[in-house]
Amino acid sequence: MEEVKADETLDARGLSCPMPVLKTKKAMDNLESGQVLEILSTDPGTRNDLPSWTKRTGNEFLGEKQDDGYLRFYIKKK
Amino acid sequence: MAEESVLKNKFKQGYADVFYDQWPALTGGLLLGLFSILIVAWSRPWGIMGGIRNWADWLFYGLGLYPARPENPLLFSGSVMDIGFLLGTFGSALLAKEFALRWAPTLEMIKGLAGGVLMGVGSALAIGCNVGAFYTPLINLSASGFPMLIGLMIGGFIGHKYLLWELEKFPSKAAFVPAANPGGKIFDWKSVQPYLGVLVILGLVLWAYVYAGRAYTEIGGLLLFGAAFGIILQRCRFCFVRAFRDPFMTGEAGIAKAIALSIILGSLGVAVLKWTGVRPESTYVISAFWGGSLFGGIVFGIGMVIAGGCGSGTLWRVAEGQLKLWAALLTFATFNSLTTTFLRSTGWRQRLGRAVFLPDVFGWGGSLLLIAGILLLWYLLVTWNEETNKFTVGL
Repeated sequence: MEEVKADETLDARGLSCPMPVLKTKKAMDNLESGQVLEILSTDPGTRNDLPSWTKRTGNEFLGEKQDDGYLRFYIKKK
Repeated sequence: MAEESVLKNKFKQGYADVFYDQWPALTGGLLLGLFSILIVAWSRPWGIMGGIRNWADWLFYGLGLYPARPENPLLFSGSVMDIGFLLGTFGSALLAKEFALRWAPTLEMIKGLAGGVLMGVGSALAIGCNVGAFYTPLINLSASGFPMLIGLMIGGFIGHKYLLWELEKFPSKAAFVPAANPGGKIFDWKSVQPYLGVLVILGLVLWAYVYAGRAYTEIGGLLLFGAAFGIILQRCRFCFVRAFRDPFMTGEAGIAKAIALSIILGSLGVAVLKWTGVRPESTYVISAFWGGSLFGGIVFGIGMVIAGGCGSGTLWRVAEGQLKLWAALLTFATFNSLTTTFLRSTGWRQRLGRAVFLPDVFGWGGSLLLIAGILLLWYLLVTWNEETNKFTVGL
């Protein structure tokens, strides 16, 4: 995925299911429409959970990026 | 040559499909149901709690708390299944490069410990965890699975409400900095994992043959069955907690549906085995109907949501390296052992409930219809909730 500028970053590293999704939900509530949230996570389950949640709530899942020992996810608020 | 690289790509794609990508929940559910039948045909139904309690019993025996010597963990069926489960999951995680020692913030570790305590007590009351008191009993036509289903739903709801409350009360956690790439810069630990995974799986198979060589073939088979269950659950990231929490949290019903179908399939198979006399009718008909199952289910349900893993889910996450679940396993095992001992010594274990074999009450056909009916009702309920979000809290 191409470079994305995040408006907010949620550091969910070290948290395991279901905390990353719950915290994402909360963080997204504070965003304006069109803004991008970046989520950092070490939980392998997040790779399926976040895109799934994003789709269900009508938001746009932009992609994931592998970093050193964790993953970065990007969601755009509808 | 062109043909060689096509073959190589096909192999890589196949490997990725099986070992890197998460398997669909339905696949997992059907495989679980199938193996649940096969393991009964081989020896005994699948369980998780028995083995874990055996290990805790040994700990307390070693500390001088228990007078009686527990069963040999290398020959006790429950323990061997769990050893196979852990090793199988470990191998599967390695093959998928998903193993890593994952630390968690302090609050999470505390939740792991606390959740484990509730799971330990709850599973002692229900005489089993999500597998041993809900999944396997229903497949084995034990009425106790139904109050456990209800208890888990209630517990899941309460646990989820707690998490929502906690989210408000403790909004921001100090940013957690993961340890620098373990293994250092000397070699790439991740690329080595699949080869270790192969070794672990081969080791499991060899161990089963060692058992067979000493006339313990049946136990060796249980080791492999345990591994199969572990691999299926890990590849699917199959988590019973999701079945009882997600309908309230995100509305998703995937795992719940998979479990419902899995039990319907499994119950058909085991009914055949019991009707034809391959196994005694009383096998895995738990004496917890219905108080023990209901209240144990509620307590266990709350615990598993807080811990972030059920009985089986805790085990496969342990083998993935998630340290929060190591904490949960510790209290889960010890509190189940202590509570069970307490219940036995006070005689309260008898008060948990009765053993009710469904065909005794409804006949064989009636029992299968009842099981299918109730599970399909659950299936419909969660599917309806998926669309309407009527039960979803805080979405």
